[in-house]
This record gives sequence, C-alpha cells and structure tokens, in this order.
Amino acid sequence: MTIVADNFIGLPVLVLLPIIGGIVCWMFGRTGEIRKQEFLCRTRSAVCILTVLAEWLITVFLIRSRGAGLQFMFPNLFGLGIGFELDGLRWILCLITTTVWFAVAVYGLDIHRSDTKKNRFDLYFLICEGATIGVFLAADLYTMLIFFEMMSMSSWVLVAHDETRDSWYAADSYLAYAVIGGLVTLMGLFLLYHLFGTVRISEIRALAAACPDRKLLYIAGALATVGFCIKSGMWPLHTWLPPSYTMAPTTATTLLSSVLSKTGVFGLAVILSQIFAGDRNVGFLVLALALITMVVGAVLGIFSTNIKRTLACSSISQIGFVLTGLATCLLLREENAFAAHGMVLHLMNHSLFKLVLFLSAGAVIMNITDGEYNAVRGFGRNKPLLIFGMLMGLWGLAGIPGGSGYISKTLLHESIVETIHLFESGGGPAFWMHVTEWVFLISGGCTFAYMTTLFVCVCVDRNEDPDVQAVYDRMKGKWCRLPSAVIIGLFALLIPVLGCAPFLMEALASFSDPFFAVSTVHPVHYLSFEILKGSMISILTGVVIYFLIVRRCLIRGGIYTDRWPASVDLEKNVYRPLLLHILPFAGSFLARSIATLPELIRIGFCRLLYSNNNNGVVIPGEDEYFSSYKTQEEADESFSTTLGTSLLLISIGMVIILVFLFLQ
Amino acid sequence: MALILLVPILFPFVIALIAKRNASRTWVIPALVLELLLVIGCAFTRGSVVIPCIYGTQIVLVNDGLGILFSVLFTAMFLLAGIFGFEYLHEKINTYHVFYLSTLGAMVGLCYAGNLLTYYMFYETMTLCSFPLILHEGTERSRSAAMKYLGYSLFGAALALFGFFVVYSQTGGATFVPGGYADGNVSGLMLAAALCMIIGFGGKAGMIPLQDWLPTAHPEAPAPASAVLSGVITKSGVLGIIRVVYYLFGVNALAGTYVQNTVLILALTTIFCGSMLAYKEKVLKKRLAYSTVSQVSYVIFGLMLFNSLGFTGALMQAVFHAVSKVCLFLAAGAIICKTGKTRVDQMVGIGKVMPLTLFCFACAGLSLVGIPPFSGFVSKWYLAEGSLSAFPAAGWIGAAVLLISAMLTAGYLLGPVSKGFFHEPDPETESVRCGWYIKLPLVILAFATLLFGVFPGQIHQLVAGVFAGLL
Repeated sequence: MTIVADNFIGLPVLVLLPIIGGIVCWMFGRTGEIRKQEFLCRTRSAVCILTVLAEWLITVFLIRSRGAGLQFMFPNLFGLGIGFELDGLRWILCLITTTVWFAVAVYGLDIHRSDTKKNRFDLYFLICEGATIGVFLAADLYTMLIFFEMMSMSSWVLVAHDETRDSWYAADSYLAYAVIGGLVTLMGLFLLYHLFGTVRISEIRALAAACPDRKLLYIAGALATVGFCIKSGMWPLHTWLPPSYTMAPTTATTLLSSVLSKTGVFGLAVILSQIFAGDRNVGFLVLALALITMVVGAVLGIFSTNIKRTLACSSISQIGFVLTGLATCLLLREENAFAAHGMVLHLMNHSLFKLVLFLSAGAVIMNITDGEYNAVRGFGRNKPLLIFGMLMGLWGLAGIPGGSGYISKTLLHESIVETIHLFESGGGPAFWMHVTEWVFLISGGCTFAYMTTLFVCVCVDRNEDPDVQAVYDRMKGKWCRLPSAVIIGLFALLIPVLGCAPFLMEALASFSDPFFAVSTVHPVHYLSFEILKGSMISILTGVVIYFLIVRRCLIRGGIYTDRWPASVDLEKNVYRPLLLHILPFAGSFLARSIATLPELIRIGFCRLLYSNNNNGVVIPGEDEYFSSYKTQEEADESFSTTLGTSLLLISIGMVIILVFLFLQ
Repeated sequence: MALILLVPILFPFVIALIAKRNASRTWVIPALVLELLLVIGCAFTRGSVVIPCIYGTQIVLVNDGLGILFSVLFTAMFLLAGIFGFEYLHEKINTYHVFYLSTLGAMVGLCYAGNLLTYYMFYETMTLCSFPLILHEGTERSRSAAMKYLGYSLFGAALALFGFFVVYSQTGGATFVPGGYADGNVSGLMLAAALCMIIGFGGKAGMIPLQDWLPTAHPEAPAPASAVLSGVITKSGVLGIIRVVYYLFGVNALAGTYVQNTVLILALTTIFCGSMLAYKEKVLKKRLAYSTVSQVSYVIFGLMLFNSLGFTGALMQAVFHAVSKVCLFLAAGAIICKTGKTRVDQMVGIGKVMPLTLFCFACAGLSLVGIPPFSGFVSKWYLAEGSLSAFPAAGWIGAAVLLISAMLTAGYLLGPVSKGFFHEPDPETESVRCGWYIKLPLVILAFATLLFGVFPGQIHQLVAGVFAGLL
C-alpha cells in the first residue's frame, strides 16, 4: 500500500483505536462470562474507560495542529480509497465526540452496573465512537458515508439494547431510517461522483461552482443530504427520533442526541456549504425546513409527558435552530460570520446541554425505572446536584443571559437580523425574514416553556402520592454514585462558565472560519439592550406559554395529561402503512405477475398439448399458501408433472436446433 | 493442467469403489485441498491443452485470468461447503460426495474451457452431476424439484447449443478469443443467437424468464449443496455469458443493439422481482434463493454495460455474492440442522441460541445489502458508476433499481437478524452446540466478506487486468 507523503498517523489511530479497543473489551468480557470470572469483566470496563480516555487525550493534544492541514490517505481501501483530514471545525466536533463518550463511559459504569448485556453494549459503544470520529475526520464524502453507515449500524444495536416491546418498535424505525437514508445518500454520491469525478470535500466547492448541469447537481445534492437530514432529525424525517431517544438506554440516548445528531448536521454543512455555497434557492429551502423542524420539535416538547421524550423533542427543535444558522449562512454569502459562528456554537452548546440533561434524567429513570412526568414528580426535591444540573440545562437551552446558550442563540438571531438588513438594502424577501425572526423568538419561548415544565415537575412539585414522595426524599444522597455525580456537576458548571466568557466561545467558533470561508468578524455587544431584547421576548413568550397553556390546559387536576391527539402521528399513520403495506403490496403484485408470466406460458402450452385434470389454478411457486385451499401435499407439483414439463422443455429446445439445422 | 481435472474426476471413483460406508470424508478433504492447491498453482502458469475430437472439433483447455479467478473461487467455496457438510449430512454420504466432487470437476473444466464446445460439454456434465445433489433427500418434493432443475437447465443449454450451431456455421469456429470475432456488423441471425445464448446461460444464473427453478430446487437440496448451487453453480451461467459476450461475439458487435437493451431490461426486472419476492417469502431457504435470483442479475447487469466500471463491478459482485451467499445458506443450514426451524417467523430469538451463526448471517447479510465496511458495498459502487457512465441519460434507472433492491434486501435479511438477536427465543427452544465443522466455514466466510470489503484492491487489479485484455 502506498502512503501519501504528508501523512499523519494520528488520524487513523483516532478512528481505529476505539474499534480495536471495543474488540479487546468484548474478548475480555466474553471470556469472563464463559468462565464466570468477575475480574475479567472489571478488566473489560477498565479497558473501555482507558480507550475513551486515550481518545480524549489524543484529541486534546491535536489542538495545536488543527490548522496544519493534517491528513492521512489510504489509497486502496474500500475500492476508491479513503482519507482523513483535520481542520478547526473537525477538531471541535472530535473534541465534542470524545468528551461526550468519556463522560458517558464513566456514567455507564453506574447506570449499567446490573446489566447482563453490558458486554455487547461496550463493543458497539466503542465501535460507534470510532465510526463517529471517522465521519468527522473524513476527507471525502465516500469515507464519510462508509463511517456514517458503520455508525448507524452500531448505534442501532445500542438503541435496541433494552429488548422490550417499545424498544423493538424504536429500533425497527431506527434501522429502517438508517438503511433507507444511507442508501439514498449513496445514490446522491453516485451522481456527485459521476458529475465531479471525485468527492473530496476540499475540491468539490470549486468543481460545483463550475458545474454546467445545475439540475443534476440539485438532484444529486438533494439525494446526498437525505441520510444526513434523517440523522439530524429534520422534519419530516424526524419521526424515528422521539421513540428511539426515549426507548434507548440513557447512555445511548445521550450519544444519539449529543453527538450522532451532529454527524447529520456536519454532513449537511459539508454538502450545503461546499456544493451550494451562496445558493439562495437552497438557502430558502433549508430555512423553511429548519423553521418547521424548530416549531414541530418545540410543540411536541410542550405536549410531551415523559422526561426523555421532552428532551428528544427538544433535540429536534434545537437542531432546527442550528439548521437556521446553516440556512442564513447560505443566504448571507460572504457576510456569514454570525451565522457560521452561531451555528457551530449552538451545535457545541446543544451537545453540552443534552449531555447534562440526559445524564440527569437518566439518573432519575435509573432509580424509578419510569420517565413519565407523574411518576418522576418531586424526585429532585432536596437533591441539590440534580436541581443544579436541570437548572443549568434549562438556563442554557432557553438562552437566558449568563448561560452559554445565550451567546449562540444571540449570534443566530443576529444572523437573521443581518439577513433582514441585507434584503432590505439589496432587494429580497425581507418580509419572510421578519417572519423567520418571530418564529425563531417564539420557538425560543417554547423552549423555555417545556424546559420549565420539566424542571418544575422534577425539582419543584411534590408527588401526588405522599408515600412516594417520602421514598424519593429518603433517596437523598443515594440517587447516584460519585463518578456520575462528578460528571453531571462538572459539565453543568461549564454552562455558566462558558456563558460568562463569550470571548472563549468566539475563539472556539473561529476555528471553523476556514471551513465556512468566513472573512470578516464583527464584535457583538452581548449586554446591549438591542440584543438583550430578543432574549427577553423569548422568555416572556415562554412564561406566557407556560402559564396559559401548560398550567391551564395540560395539567388537569394536578396530573400531567398527554393531550396530543394520537391520530397525528406521521410514522404510525403514513410512513409505516406506506412502507410496510401499500408499496410492498404493489411491488409484490408486479413482481409476481412478471415472475409467473413464463410459468403461465408454460402451463398454457402444456394444456394446448395434452389435457390434464389440473383445475388450472396457478399457484405462484414462491408462496405455498397463496390463495390456495389445498393441503401442502396436494399443492406440490408432483414428480410426474415436472418430469413431463421438463421433457417438454428439453424437446422444445432440441426441436429449435433441429429446425435450424434442416434449414441450413 | 489436465491434472486439475483428474483430481475431481478420479476421487469420486475412488470413493465409489473403495471407501467404506459413510467413510468418504477421509477422501473428500484431501481431494478438495489438493484441488485448491492445484488450481492456485495453475494460476502461476500459462498454457493450453488441446485434445482432438470427432469431425475436426477440439476440446481446448486454457488458463486465462478469468478462468483462474473463477476456478479458485469455485474450489474454495466447494471446500468450505464440503467441510460444513460433514456435520450436516447423515445419510448417503458416499453418494453425495461422489457427485459433489464430480460437479466440482465439471466446474473447474468449465472455467478453463477454451472453446464453446468444451464449455458446452462441461456445462452439461455439471448439470447432470449436480442433479443428484438436489435429489439427495429422496422425497417426492425433492424428486420433483430435481426434475424441474434438470428441465430448466437443459432447456437453457439447448438455447445455448442453438447459438453454438449458428456461430459455428457463420464463423467456422467457436474458440474463445479475447475481444470476440465480430468486427462491428453482425447479421440478424447472429444477434438472435447471441440473445438465445445469453438467455440460456442466464437461466442457470436465475435470470427471468428461466428463473423459476431456483426457489424450487434450492430449498430441497441439503444445505451445503444449496449453498454451492446458489453461490457457485449460478456463476457458471455468468461465466457462460462472459464467454459469449466478451470472447465470442465481442463488445463491438453487441453494443447498442437490441440484445444489449433486452438483457439489461431483463436483468433489472429480475433484480427488482427477485428482491420483492424474497421480501414476501417466509421460508428462509426460499427467501435466500430469491435473493440469489436478484443478486446474480446484478452481475449480468454489470456485464451488459460493456464498460470497465460495469465489468469490474460485475466480477467483484460475482465473487462477493458467492462468499456471502454460501455463508448465508450455511448459516441457514446450521439453523435448520440444529433447531429444525425453516421459516423466518420461527427464527425469533435464534441469536440467543446460536449467536455465532446468526452473527455470520448478519455479516453476510450486510454485505449483500451493501453496507460498508462489508464487501457488497464496493461492488455496488462500481456497478452504479458503470451504469451512470454507460448511459448518461438513463443510467440513473439502473442505479435506482440497485438501490430499491438494496432496501428490499435489507428488509428481508436484516429483519430476521433483528428478531433473532433482540427478541427472546421460545421457551421450548433447547440450547444447541455447533461443532467446528459448522463454525469454521461460517467464520471464514463472514471474515472474508469483511476482508474483501476493506481490501478489494487485489481482486480489483485482477479483474481490471482481465478487462484490459478484452479490448
């Protein structure tokens, strides 16, 4: 194998280390299971923690070389060859990935302590880390897709981990979406590769600008984004997300929400910002989808009565915010600094918030094995750490000044305002951008409302049942172990710390400048009235929604009720019937007709030549029970029938030859 | 070179005459290993054997790159399925092995055939030798299935023979020459002959309209036999099509004619129909048989694109499909043999009982769907790119059909995997132990699907070399 000169071995190591670590882990665990030796299982856990720690350390050490253009190419692997490269944006994403994985691995020791399937979990947990890093480091779309598929498949095992009826439903959705999305993206890549002759990310920007066939380019781009849209949870491809997030073990949910959704966003960012850089048509389309995603997620979140489901819907909504940044990035063309920074920072923030929130929620669920609001009510009382974690999550996610979410949401808001100015001065649908701004602010309000509902339910309310409340109160100090507590506390602390240090966040965001081709950066005065106003409007809306809708309509007689109409379920009532019944029926009808056509000719021919007492029912060979009232033995073609038919076929063949020979 | 043919022809006689009842395995492993070594050794030599025959015709054996690729593949698959058979088969073992080895002999001859007459001879021998493998169980259904197999195969062979006579009378020879005979303008009769031959050989490869024998014959044969029937013997039809198209008529003669278009449409129809029927099928081995119908037509589709990408994709698909499908059939065989479950809906929770088997099934299944890092992904990439570059305007149809089929493949192969691993088995299901005769081939094959996916370079070079010789 030839190796390119400026290769940096660290990148493939980063990808392969967890995969190898996972296999080593599995071997230890498997041996331990078979020989019933506890210390081997402990070794497995140690190997797992060490692997993720090593990953984190390598990533941190790479910070100095993020701008050095490190890359590594394997020219012959997987046919086309794969390659990795590192730049600022990729470094941030890798840092998020390794940090979240480390946190979850430590936390997993606690939450999975009595899990008999921990061995399988660790294997796919680590493979998934390698694959995710592979997606983020990919130098071309081909490599990206390869690792994206590996990531989807390994995370599927994590989603299905609990093996309950609900988790089967969730895992089936997850798998179907993953496979279909991956294959549609593959189709897009076929077309892109056909158009460009390469799918190297650093080259496609120039090639796309010079591409004469815009129509094909749009089709290719649209197909290529489907898989990534699915993974990020964009409407209308979001329906897998609430059940998967709710039914997966909390460790897996945290990964899905904090990191895996970001692979989707990253893929979208690569395709949209490189292939369709500055393309306003695409920008408006993405903006529309992002706004719908934002609103749908927020509304679902308000109506949810399960803590994990609320957080899942919140993920959909927040990804909508991130995608709004991506859309304004396209609309603003060269002036995209706010949009790009806001997007990157919100992406990072969302990972951080969801890490804290899901880990806190997971701790609750671990203790009472139920996530319904009415059950968890009052659990957080007198548990300062849990209150702190939840409160910081609320603070950040709702974009209240002082939390890090305020910085990123402000930047996103500024990017929308900037678009309005641009359109007003240079011509463009400024009215729709005003609508966008209001939708953005109201969605922010919804965020505040559902997070407040969650917080009040867990940490402020008392449980309806005083006995249960007494049990919850007795759990004080025993609801989670020290390592998990440290993880939750540390990351929760990070939210206000980052929020009070905007310069630090902007420095981080500027890592991504080369990727988005950001040229000039204007300073933002985060404490000016003009900017605080947006946040105030959001919070005010949130308070109004909370008191008018949540408290008055959704809480009846002190009980949280699920008032979401069951018939409004895109997956259950549209996608599943379509994919499982209508399309397969039509397809198999067609396929059966075609496949039995030669057989029909044969049977017709036989009846022409010799009469038989067969009553002429054509039984498709593939389905022994198809429209048949005969028993199995009767339905089988008998030996003599097939013998006769075969002889007939053979003689037809011979006759053709003879006729030809005579004619010669 | 003649030695290669001698081993699988001699050993069956040895088994038939000498071996004690059910003691043939002591002879089969040496025979298969020896054959594999010989075939690999043959790859490093070049040469040809000419045996004069009646009326001035000749039996010619040549070892070119294509023959070497296929013969190594065939022998390796026969060896692995043979090992599996030791634990699977319990009765009439000697008879089975006699025909098993003779089939291999005929197939190796097929790979090295240097002209159409030799090819036809070995082709018929192979059909006749593999016929008793389906008949093995001896039930009414298996007799019926075997007759169906024979009828379809001989009808296909007769169509091929018709083409042979036409070609012979028009050109005066039917030796396989890289690049073919025709130089651009061919008569209508020749085109008709080409179509007949492709459809005839396509019948063996499970292409519509002669696909109906596969779902009948595969489930009736014992698992190792259905594995080679599905994974390997279908490839003899593919090889026939390659010889006819690329070595007899030549790409220039057929490009743009109705022959190419008809076969492409037939192949795409088969790809879709096979997957769709497999998706609807409940009996596991029948489902796999329909899957073969679909997957082997990928190969034919790629071959008929007449460009380097399509040809590369097609031959890679031929190799990868053989590996995956043998693995799938052996896994299905292991499940049937150890638990007696034949239907997909009975396989719930089977992963808890036979984790290794279902894991290998999953690897091979992911490979067939085309999920990286498994091998099917690579071949499908080349096939789709070949389709797009051969027909810039309509090539997307080919790629789209490949993808729809891939989705259906995921539906019919990953469903059982999901149910097998994540559901609890029936309380009645007893725990089973598989021996090494079952585990070893499965693990090797599953590992091969991964290995070929990550390192397809060697096969790619080999195939590209073959194609370069054809232009």
